Formats: sequence, C-alpha cells, structure tokens
Amino acid sequence: MANLTEVKVPDIGDASGVEIIEVLVSEGDEIGIDDGLIVLETDKATMEVPSSDVGVVKSVEVKVGDKVSEGDLILKIEASSDSSDDEIKSEDSSSKDEQSEEQDDSEDASSESSSADKNSSGKNSSEEDDSKKASKSKSSGSSRSEAITIPDIGDSEGVEVIEVSVKEGDEVEEDDSLIVLETEKATMEVPSPFAGTVEAISVKVGDKVSQGDEIGSMKVTDTGSNEDDSDSDDSTDESSQQAEKETSVKDEPMPKSDYKPAPVAVAPYERNEGELIHASPAVRRLAREFGADLSKVKGSGRKNRILKEDVQSYIKFELSRPKATANSGTAASADLPEIDFSKFGDVEEKSLSRIQKISSVTLQRNWNLIPHVTQHDEADITELDQFRKSMKEEAAKEGVRLTPLAFIMKALVASLKAFPTFNSSLAADGETLVLKKYFNIGVAVDTPDGLVVPVIRDVDKKSVYQLANELAEMSEKARDKKLTAKDMQGSSMTISSLGGIGGTSFTPIVNWPDVAILGLSRNQMKPVWNGKDFEPRMMLPMSLSYDHRVIDGAVAARFTVHLSKMLADIRRTIL
Amino acid sequence: MSNLHAQVVVLGSGPGGYNAAFRAADLGMDVILIEKYATLGGVCLNVGCIPSKALLHTAKVIDEAEEMSAHGVDFGKPKFDIDKIRDYKDGVIKQLTGGLAGMAKGRKVKTVQGYGKFTGANEIEVEHDGKKQKVTFDNAIIAAGSRVVDLPFLPEDDRIVDSTGALELRDVPKHMLVIGGGIIGLEMATVYRALGAKITVVEMADQLIPAADKDVVKVLEKFIKGKYENILMETSVTKVEAKKDGLYVTFEGKNAPEKPQKFDMILSAVGRRPNGDLLDADKAGVEVTDRGFIETDKQMRTNIPHIYAIGDIVGQPMLAHKATAESHVAAEVIAGKKHYFDPLTIPSVAYTDPEVSWVGLTEKEAKEQGVDYGVGKFPWAASGRAIGVDRKEGFTKLLFDKKNNRVIGGAIVGVNAGELIAEVGLAIEMGCDAEDIGLTIHAHPTLSESVTFAAEVYEGVCTDLPPQRKKK
Repeated sequence: MANLTEVKVPDIGDASGVEIIEVLVSEGDEIGIDDGLIVLETDKATMEVPSSDVGVVKSVEVKVGDKVSEGDLILKIEASSDSSDDEIKSEDSSSKDEQSEEQDDSEDASSESSSADKNSSGKNSSEEDDSKKASKSKSSGSSRSEAITIPDIGDSEGVEVIEVSVKEGDEVEEDDSLIVLETEKATMEVPSPFAGTVEAISVKVGDKVSQGDEIGSMKVTDTGSNEDDSDSDDSTDESSQQAEKETSVKDEPMPKSDYKPAPVAVAPYERNEGELIHASPAVRRLAREFGADLSKVKGSGRKNRILKEDVQSYIKFELSRPKATANSGTAASADLPEIDFSKFGDVEEKSLSRIQKISSVTLQRNWNLIPHVTQHDEADITELDQFRKSMKEEAAKEGVRLTPLAFIMKALVASLKAFPTFNSSLAADGETLVLKKYFNIGVAVDTPDGLVVPVIRDVDKKSVYQLANELAEMSEKARDKKLTAKDMQGSSMTISSLGGIGGTSFTPIVNWPDVAILGLSRNQMKPVWNGKDFEPRMMLPMSLSYDHRVIDGAVAARFTVHLSKMLADIRRTIL
Repeated sequence: MSNLHAQVVVLGSGPGGYNAAFRAADLGMDVILIEKYATLGGVCLNVGCIPSKALLHTAKVIDEAEEMSAHGVDFGKPKFDIDKIRDYKDGVIKQLTGGLAGMAKGRKVKTVQGYGKFTGANEIEVEHDGKKQKVTFDNAIIAAGSRVVDLPFLPEDDRIVDSTGALELRDVPKHMLVIGGGIIGLEMATVYRALGAKITVVEMADQLIPAADKDVVKVLEKFIKGKYENILMETSVTKVEAKKDGLYVTFEGKNAPEKPQKFDMILSAVGRRPNGDLLDADKAGVEVTDRGFIETDKQMRTNIPHIYAIGDIVGQPMLAHKATAESHVAAEVIAGKKHYFDPLTIPSVAYTDPEVSWVGLTEKEAKEQGVDYGVGKFPWAASGRAIGVDRKEGFTKLLFDKKNNRVIGGAIVGVNAGELIAEVGLAIEMGCDAEDIGLTIHAHPTLSESVTFAAEVYEGVCTDLPPQRKKK
C-alpha cells in the first residue's frame, strides 16, 4: 500500500479552538493541492483550509462542530496509486444521501468524483452495483462494514428515539452509546456492538424503532484474521445481532461526565420542545433579577440543571452582544415586530451568508459601543495621479498593477506617525490607550459572500510596489476564501475604499479595536480656486470616522489636513 | 391627632406582617407596624397555628400514654386540670409574641396599636380606644389577613364557638359537634377528643380535608372512625336550636340522623374569608374583589404601585408560611430588589392524628391538568420505625412526571407527616427525579426513609417490600 500522509491544520493565526463548519471532502475523495478540505469559522471570517498534498482521502479525522487549532490532524491522504484505488473507494464508502435509509445494504455507494459531490451517490445505479461488487471481491478484510440494528429492547415496539449520540464519521468504542430510546419505563441507550467508525446513522430524534430495525452502519476494523468475504452479507448480519444481544445484556458503562465549567459567555440555547427547565429557587431568583429567560439557558449541571453560573454566562453573553442582531443574525431584530411582507407582494427569503452574519454582529457592536464622528475632507491628488499614471507602464513591466491605494497607504502611515493616537486601541478598562509602534493597514475587501478586512503588515517598511502586489494578493485570497484569521488581525487603521464605484462621501464604521477608519469615495476633477482663478484639480473625497473617546474633533481635522498634504505631494512622505 | 410617617407602613402583624416589617427594617427602611391587638403575631401566634399546636402536643401525650397501656405500661386514667392546660398554651403564646415585640424593638420597628383604615393613597388612620392617629407612608404593605366565616343560621350562644373560641379552652364538653371536616375543625376535634369529648364531625363534601387526595385522607378517616362518635359525610347542618340543656342540631343530607341531635358545644370551622373589605382600601384606590381578596402581581404589588399586599388577603392557600415568603418579596421589592414570589409549591399540613401533609401536585390536580404521572407509594406497614412506634397506618406517596421521572408532588399520612413533607418540597424545588431521591441515603431507621423508598418503588428497585410486579 502507498504511504499515508497526514494533513494538519496550518497556521490559522492566533486562533485556537476554531470551529469546523463544513467538511468538504469525504473518505475516498481524490484531492489535489489547494483543494478545500474543511471550512473553519474564526471570530473574523470563515476560512477554507486547502490541501497540501495530492492523493486519495483515506480517513477524515474531524467532523463539523469540532474545534481545531494549528497542527491538529485533519485527515490522512494516501498518495495515488492505481492498484489500491478501487479498494480504497469501496472500503471507505461514504454518502451524505439522506435516502440511505432505503438502502438496506450497509455499504453506501461510494463517491467517485474528487470533490465532495453530495449528489453522486444516487446518480447511477449500475455504478453503485459495480462498486459494491468491487467491495465484496476486493475487501482486504482489515475492515468491514457492519449494519447496526436495534438489539433486544424487551417487548417494546415502536420505541421513540430521543437522542442520537453519534454522527457520521465518529469513532466509537464498543458499548459506547449510539442512540437513546425512551420506552414507557425508562430511557435506554443502544450501545455500539463494535468498535469502529460510524458510516451512517439513518434514524433521527423522534423516529420510532423496534427490535431488529437497522439504524445505520459502521466501519469495523478487525485486528484478527480475514473474514471470508463471499458470504459476509449473511454471516455478519447474524454475528452482529449476536453481538448486540450480548452487549445489551452487559452492564452499561458509566456515562461519561459531560460536566464542564461554565464558559465565559454562552449563547442562547435552543431547547427542544418539552425539554425540561431545571432550576432551583435561587437560580430562578437570579434569572428573575436579570430578566434572563431560563428557557434559553442551557444547563451545565447534573442532568442539565441550570446552575447560577449558567445564568451568569447567559447574562454575560446577552450583555456582550448587540441586541438587534440576536443570535448571530438569525433573529435579526428581537425587539422589532415580525412583518409578513408577502401581504404586499411576492417575496423571497435568502439567508445571510456566514460572513454577513458575523459582520452584522461586529458592525452592530462597533456602531453601538463606539461614539462615532466622521470628518469629511478632500485631498488634491492631481500630482499623485499624474505620477501614478506615469509609472504605470514601468510598474506593469515589473508585474505590478499600480493602484492609488498603495500610495494612499503610504501617505496614511506618514499621518499615523504624525498623529500616534490614530494608531492606538482603547484598553478594555476604558482608561488606557495602547499606542502601537507598528503600521499595519487593514483594507476592506468586498467579496461575493460579504465584507472582509485583510491586513497589510509593516506598510512603513514596504515599497509602493510591494504594497500594490500584496494588495492584489490579499484581494484574491479574500475572494477565494483563503484568508486566515491572522491575515485579518492586528491593524493600525483601516481603509474602506468605494472610489471604484462612486459617491461623494459616506460614514464608515470604525473597525474595532482600531480607533479610526478612512473611507474613500470616487475622485473627481473639480475646479479649485488657487487665489487667482479656478484650476482643474483631481480631488479625492475622504471620510474619516473615528472613536470620539480617543480622538478629539480638532485632532481629527488636523489629521485629514495632514493626510491631504501628504497626498497632495507624495514626496512629503519620505521627509 | 398626631401624625406619624414611615417609608414603609405594614398593616397587620401576623406572620406576613411582622416578617415584612422586619425584613424592610433589615433592609434599612424605617417601618411602622400597625396591629389592632395588644400583642403582635396575628391569628397564627395568638389564636391559630401556635396555640393549637400547644394543645395538640398535650393531646398527643394523652393519646400515646393511653396507647402504651396495650403494651404493658399503664399510667392509669389521666386527670385533667383544664386551667393548667390553658396556662401552658397561653405561656407558649406569650413567649412567642413577647419575642416578637423584642425583635421589633431591636429593629427599631415602631408598632402602633389600633384598627387601621386607609384614608388616602398615602395615609392610614389608626383608631384605638376612640383615639385616632394618622400614619402617612411612602409604601404600604397590607397584611390584614382573614377572619372566620360565620354561618348565618347559628344562634348567638356561648356554647357555639369558632376556632378562636375553641382555643380558649373554657371547658371540655361531653358531646361536641364540629361543623366542617377541614384542617382546623379536625385539629380541634383531635384536641377535644383527647381531653374526653365525644366528637361528631359533619362535612358537606364526600371526604374530609377535601383538598387532599382521597387515599391519603382515607387513612385518617379509618383511624379516627372508631374514636369519634360520628363522622357525617355529605351532610350539612340546617338548624341549631339553643336550649338550656343543650344545642339541638338538625342535619340534612346523605348521612343525616333523622332526629335533631343534642350537643354541648359546637365548633364552626367552615373556612376563612379575607379581610379586604374592612380596610377602606378604595380610599387608597386599591381594588378589592367581591370576595374580599386584594389581587397582586408576582412582586406582591396591588393595582396601586406603592401599595403591596401579602398573606391570606391576597388569596389561597391561606397559610402562614406562604405569607412569610410573600412578606420578604414585598419588602425586598420596596427596597429596590428585583425579586418575585416564584415558588413551585407550598406545602399543606393537617396536624391531626395521624398527620396529613402534601406538597406539589395531588393526584387530583395531576389528573385535572392531564399530567402523565406515575406513583411511588411506600406503606409504613413495611417501615421498621413506624412499626416500632406502633403507628403503621400511614404511607408516603410521591408523584412523578413520567416524561422525565421528576418529582411533581408528594403526600404523607402518618405520625410526623408534617415534618416529613419538607424534604419532598425541597426535592420539587430542586428538580429532583426519582433517582436523585432514591440515591440520597436516609438514616435508618427513620420515618424519613419512607421518602427514599417511595422513590425506589416508583423506579421498581425497592427491596423493603415484597417483589414488585415488573412494569411492562
């Protein structure tokens, strides 16, 4: 067999414990370099982790909801080798097809395309058959697929599933709880009959099951001798039931304690209908005092009891989040009445993208917490523009697309040096200012999914060409969702340019923890009085929004005047 | 007419009133407590809970001494000195009310004796011995309680008393009629029977203590049946004729005796009504219902935001411990705390012999509310402790929500049931399920074990009973 390569989480900035929101590949997929493997969600944006290798995915070690940090194992890739191709495909079958319930065979159709094609499994039945045959004939015996069926649960028929404890891809030990059933008498866990990886779970909460019902399949890894594959279908069925009967008789293991210390801030919890709210009188009093709705608080205590700490965490969360964008944008306005727009005509609902949801929360927070003032000014960039145009061709020979923004960044750094408070952040206590000695400029980039702000580092130490190149790179990365959390951290100040589109001025929202943001509108040739007559000058409208707690109006005005000067004659920046 | 003013004026000094006054004072407010009687404590301390329990203690010792004669210890026929029994009871009252006066003083709560009535939204006029005094307030807490319901057809006669009169213990009649088979009537019946009276109880409903579950009360009924002269269920009194040689009572109903019966004393205990109609509350703008209740929100606030009401006057159950809990809420809300009266349950206890107690949902209520519940019932016949004290008639019953096995109610009948119910109340408030209670180790041998066992019975894991039939 070919060698296995481990693919790990690359440098994702300072972020650790970042949540996986999507897994783009499944076992058996062929992948190439830079193919997206998983999508992470940091507090800034979502980001795709690309593959660093070529090959076939042998095993996916993570699942949606997992929290990962740099260096964590994502998956194992087997370098492509023709001989083992079929085998891998057949063994590591996977399917996200929801219709898998109908397939009584435990092996789902394997996906042949290299990308995670969710539709592939149902596309061609003959292909499926082929791959099944392949799996039977070529299975090495080191692992096999087993159906999971409901063991003897007494006389009960049609018992309700109240919890599904595992999901596809989970590694389980023998006797680990797979699902929880509720009989008239009690709730009972259905233990895993094998150790292995869950391939599919075909039941969901609320389904009714009886003894013998198939609830999914598992990939079981045997350490022992090869099974005879030819009649594995029948024999495994029996043996698995046998095993289930045995395990169901055994004492169930102590459930793992899922008690965790209450986290700092906990988002509202969506309680299932009829789910118990479990809070002692003192906890109820605390909730009353703060008007916390206990039905939205998840209990971290024994048997999901709501503890004082849970209420405190919930209150912390409620205080820390902007009210109007409740629940990361899903309940966009808790305080506003719901309106049935369809009364007025045809409507269509479209959910916000993840980036939009995230930025709606941060934008709302920044808008609420920072007292904004916007200073408008115009900079005369006639000479700058002439110079840039004159250099354009030369730059192009160097492979550089010379944009005004690169120059403006340089000018901005000069102004930041002259006005250090603009390159600062207000400490959490609101009483100290953190002055930064670095000059990193964030640039707002509009992507189809929403707004992201990559940061260009050490602008003061870089040439205009370098900056222009980096800008281009970052924009591309942003559009390809390749930005890492680190790419979007550590700005001194941010530039938001709408110059390419139009407008005369706007009020950008300060990108906290920055204390100021420079908005640029479309430059225009305007008649400017030079003392004797009107002269046509190229004027750039600038809108500087700033945190008034940190920056006074007069200073802001001086700042834009200074910046205008720098832009009017870019040579000043090297003085 | 002098003027007094306080941040908080409390009208009535029963358990609701004095606790409200003390809590408010402890929270730094200046407080005036208005009480029409010379002693603090209201009905509960003076003519209710406390004196009745003193007398019930006497009754218990008498009964237990008599029971022991069957087990080889004969104390002989008891001799009663009714004056000394009364003195004992009065001493208990005095000790407690005196203690209250001291605690009021220690908190600098000013007490004003007299009958208080509202004369405005911030003003109460207190009348005492013909003298009037104006008391103005920023906030008021109405804790004016309830009074006995009078039966209009009862003639004026010394031999016809209410609970207050019965507690005076003037003498012990030969034949006593108790009208009303509720808690108060049965407690007094217990006392008078122990002192030698022959008791007849008449009750309109088909069971004693109608609020409790039938199976619980059945135990009490069975226990007192042979001891009382008569228990007339589904029967009512239609006429009482006071003659020199006795009170002739005419009955009507299912178990009514044909001829009028002669009694030496009648206790009328058919319930209590709120005193909302006696306060001129309308002059303060406070709304009073037709039945005399004053309605409040969960912070005990009446329709007038700075006037609060607590205790019997705001609604059922008319129990001192409910008033006390409400009193703290009212005082704390006035002090600016965002507290609410938010209990899951309030326990009820009949201090009869045997005692009957319940908390949370009764089976009756659970059925009415359509709750899918299960029962764990532990008969005290299997309790070593109960057998040891020769009182194995009782049982402990717990109700569980079948959905989550959480305890939603409990009822206990037997000696000390009133003490034992506390644990069930705590379990309900803390959201315990059957397993939690079953796994909590209780001392052996105690009656409190029966609570654990009841939970185990529900779970099917009790080994102190014959093997249970396995639930399907």
